[in-house]
Amino acid sequence: MGENKRLKRFKEIWQRLSKNKLAILGLIIIIAMILIAIFADFIAPYGYDEQDLTMAFQGPGNGHLFGTDEFGRDIFSRVVYGTRISLLIGFVAVAIAVVIGVLLGAISGYYGDKVDNIIMRLMDILLSIPQILLAIAIVAALGNGLFNLMLAVGLSSIPHYARIIRASVLSIKDQEFIEAAKAAGSSDLRIIFKHIIPNCLAPIIVQATLGVALAILTAAGLSFIGLGIAPPTPEWGSMLSSGRNYIRDYSYMTMFPGLAIVVTIFALNVLGDGLRDALDPKLKK
Amino acid sequence: MIKYIIRRLLLLIPVLLGVTFIVFTMLYITPGDPAKMVLGDTATPEAIEQYREEQGLNDPFLVQYGNYMRKLIFHGDIGTSYATRRPVIQEISQCFPATVKLACSAMVVAICLGIPIGILSAVRQYSIFDMITMVFALIGISMPVFWLGLLLILLFAVQLKVLPSSGYSSFAHMILPAITLGAQSVAVFTRMTRSSMLEVINMDYIKTARAKGQSEKVVILKHALGNALIPIITSVGLQFGTLLGGSILTESIFSIPGIGRLMVDSIKMRDFPVVQGGVLIIAIAFCFVNLAVDLLYAFVDPRIKAQYK
Amino acid sequence: MNTKKFMAFLLTLVMAVTLLAGCGGGSGAEDSTGASGEGSGSGQDTLTIAQGSDATSLDPVAVNNVYSSNVMKQIYDNLVDLDKDGNVVPMLAESWEVSDDGLTFTFHLREGVKFHNGDEMKASDVAFSLKRAQESAAVSHIFGEIDPESFETPDDYTVSFKLTAANAGFLAGLAHTGAGITSEKVVTEEGENYTNNPVGTGPFKFVSWSKNATIELERFEDYYGTKPELTKMTFRIITEATNRAIELESGGVDMAFDISTNDISRVEENSDLQLIRKVDNQTTYLAFNCEKEPYNNPKVRQAIAYAIDTQSVVDAVWRGLGQAAVGPVAPSVKFFDDSLTVHEYNVEKAKELLKEAGVENLTMTISTNDRQERIDMATIIQSQLKEVGITVEIEKLEWGALLEKADRREQDTIMLGWTCQSSDPDLALYAPFHSQKNGAVGNNYANYSNATVDELLEKGRVTTDEAEREQIYKDLQATINEDTPWVYLNNGEVVVGAKANLTGFEPTAYGYHTLYNITFK
Repeated sequence: MGENKRLKRFKEIWQRLSKNKLAILGLIIIIAMILIAIFADFIAPYGYDEQDLTMAFQGPGNGHLFGTDEFGRDIFSRVVYGTRISLLIGFVAVAIAVVIGVLLGAISGYYGDKVDNIIMRLMDILLSIPQILLAIAIVAALGNGLFNLMLAVGLSSIPHYARIIRASVLSIKDQEFIEAAKAAGSSDLRIIFKHIIPNCLAPIIVQATLGVALAILTAAGLSFIGLGIAPPTPEWGSMLSSGRNYIRDYSYMTMFPGLAIVVTIFALNVLGDGLRDALDPKLKK
Repeated sequence: MIKYIIRRLLLLIPVLLGVTFIVFTMLYITPGDPAKMVLGDTATPEAIEQYREEQGLNDPFLVQYGNYMRKLIFHGDIGTSYATRRPVIQEISQCFPATVKLACSAMVVAICLGIPIGILSAVRQYSIFDMITMVFALIGISMPVFWLGLLLILLFAVQLKVLPSSGYSSFAHMILPAITLGAQSVAVFTRMTRSSMLEVINMDYIKTARAKGQSEKVVILKHALGNALIPIITSVGLQFGTLLGGSILTESIFSIPGIGRLMVDSIKMRDFPVVQGGVLIIAIAFCFVNLAVDLLYAFVDPRIKAQYK
Repeated sequence: MNTKKFMAFLLTLVMAVTLLAGCGGGSGAEDSTGASGEGSGSGQDTLTIAQGSDATSLDPVAVNNVYSSNVMKQIYDNLVDLDKDGNVVPMLAESWEVSDDGLTFTFHLREGVKFHNGDEMKASDVAFSLKRAQESAAVSHIFGEIDPESFETPDDYTVSFKLTAANAGFLAGLAHTGAGITSEKVVTEEGENYTNNPVGTGPFKFVSWSKNATIELERFEDYYGTKPELTKMTFRIITEATNRAIELESGGVDMAFDISTNDISRVEENSDLQLIRKVDNQTTYLAFNCEKEPYNNPKVRQAIAYAIDTQSVVDAVWRGLGQAAVGPVAPSVKFFDDSLTVHEYNVEKAKELLKEAGVENLTMTISTNDRQERIDMATIIQSQLKEVGITVEIEKLEWGALLEKADRREQDTIMLGWTCQSSDPDLALYAPFHSQKNGAVGNNYANYSNATVDELLEKGRVTTDEAEREQIYKDLQATINEDTPWVYLNNGEVVVGAKANLTGFEPTAYGYHTLYNITFK
């Protein structure tokens, strides 16, 4: 594909996407979230670990937009900083999963036969364990911590990517331009990286967008059952987890981190849906 | 058909072997000494050493794995819990019913709400009902199980005091957990049903049926739904997996003594035989659900049935 | 949505609910749970208890945790019991003698005591049970000094044995559930399956156990002692503290253990409920690794202690639950030095001491397990130590990983709790402070080593004279405080919520309780 052609295709996709109001809303929210994550230091009125025990359990208002938690920390600031953590987890975990999953899937689909069989059976094995359970086991084996959490969530979602890529590799493997590249004497590696993977990008992008959502949810779930990040890191899931202890008297403590999760996941989901429709016009009725 | 089932069952064997190996390896590298966990941190070093010896914890990795597999394959024995010293199978069989009950209830909620709402939505495409439904479905998909659970407890158990917040002993106890766990699936089914109904509704044979003067009810429920069912069934099958996973969190919120909590507790307690056995059982359940879904297709769609021969 | 659509929606909901009911049947165990007897009227003879975790085993020697013990305490009687002041009183043994060297114990048993299976309890059962306790890895720290070869049973109602080393705290230890008397015959016959069918001589006998859900007991009609008024006892496992309180308020249970700080006032203000509290024997502490630079320098340890405002940490995290700890021995333990006060909070002194020790820009890791209150305390300490220029990193480990870290003696500091499981200070001090018990082999997670302390600890064990012992343990408390291997944080508190008309419950300080004397007014 030439540069021009690619640009044209990109424009087409953008046109289709921009007609989908929900998807644009999602996109705007995600961009806003990323900006919040980057500029958290300027947006948050307090530090995420700034304690004031005399100001504990203040309801929303009074200089604390979302109120304060059990240590008198400003919940708004913690939610803002939490954006950074959650997005980081989401993106890094998905990056890990995409890199490994795409490689495995591409190799599997491209070579077929035994390689395919071995890799896909391995993926079947991983798929037969519920993802969260697999992630729990990985966290237990590696220990708590931000990076381990990302690793656990990433590793446990590899099979999804591998499968999707394999399927789309299979569908384009026999097309002319691949044959042509082969005939021209390109190495397998070059074919995989130069021709196959770029042409499977559409499903990867869609799955990755939805995957970030899933990764954030899984990580928050792990934190919620106490297998997450050490304090005072303001992870939304762990904020919910400690807030649940106070749910009867100070329910606002669970409201805001929960809302933050829902908004983020919602935005990623509608964006992912929109991207799918835009990238694959066949599906769009 | 039977041949197909047998082949699928045979394919289970390497998958399960793989599962045991992966889990065994993962547990082996997990830090924490089971002996110390079981005996408590007050146990003397001699006692701990003795326990490790008894349980074969000092053996090299492959010997331990070999012993485990030998017992599993030749005696169908998945070991004894380190913590309770009861057979793992007993531990698991006590916890499995709660999880199955939870997952089934959630599934019932999801099917009974998701599919009818999806149909209504499709029939009245672009109506206000449809719009509201779709927005709710999107929110439902984005709702973390654990937050929804907390909100429901807050509303129904804390504020209104009409439903209990924990346990699973009666029907009333199951309502909140079932809704919590099922909500996401309701949303998924609603969307799935709506889109596949929309696809079918505009097909020629539906128009024909309408033209023949059959009532709208018959047209929708018989002709359209029948053909829209396949993708719905697929998503039902996929959701079962999600539900088994989601039940880990739901059980934790509502204090339900299910397999998910057993797994989490056992991982924390380094009760490896229970973790091993639990993952194995869950994996088997998973595979059987998938098989059942595949078979269901055959009943729904004769074209697929032909492939199994 | 218009009304019609709403009705349709409602209808589907009802449909779902009906189907759900159909699906719900058939999984056996749960039917028997449910709420306890009809409300608050007098004459209630069933008790439903909510506790936070399931028993691990009902075999006395298999485990040592309070949740198991809380159930076993109702099933098994011991040779002796502790009264509420911590004094040893007769139970299955009517009387006993101890030789002058403190080594030989002779117990005279009550006659005609029956096991739950109808067999009579004999001296051989007692010898058998205590031998098991001695061998058991889980409780050998309490009973390991019994010489298993020394048992003698001259007749069916007399049993005697020797200790390999004198230990003044031993007799009180015999009240621990680990020394609950079991039937030799049943244990031998049942083997691995024993924990599913436990048999003791206690006032309640085992009925059923549904993992992580319920344990049911019923009154043992042939009990030798005063027959309880209760006929049935059900333990319900409810993990979340909030859920336990909600169940208590809604009448689903009659009493709930471990009410969280958030729910205390709610229970107190509820006229249908009462709150029963007692400061317990658990001390939560921050232990320095006394082998590691710079914590091997007492000045650094003292400096850090000065920089921690324990009272405000405890107030903020526990909010009125328990109290700030003042020393290594909990207040209800014998020979507690009541002249001690919470250590001084003095940032200036802390800075000065750090300067003297030549420590600057210290980064210190607090390793602890994933218990919320501990993490909360660590989080506050983190911000307090910032004041004196110490950067704290909190390392949250699972219990197993934490123990492994302690094994390797790599930690800077570790935050843990220690519970004295009887009324004797030996159990409070020997294991966590004797140099032979360092983190790799025992509970001395501070890896603390002080020859004077070792000597006093050993002397305390063999001394029989009460006044002399008292002096030894007071000296120990003073010396340990001076060395500061621990920063004491708090003593826990047993907080039990119960129906207002429930009486006869006397909480203990060691985590498990006698429940069979409970009655309803």
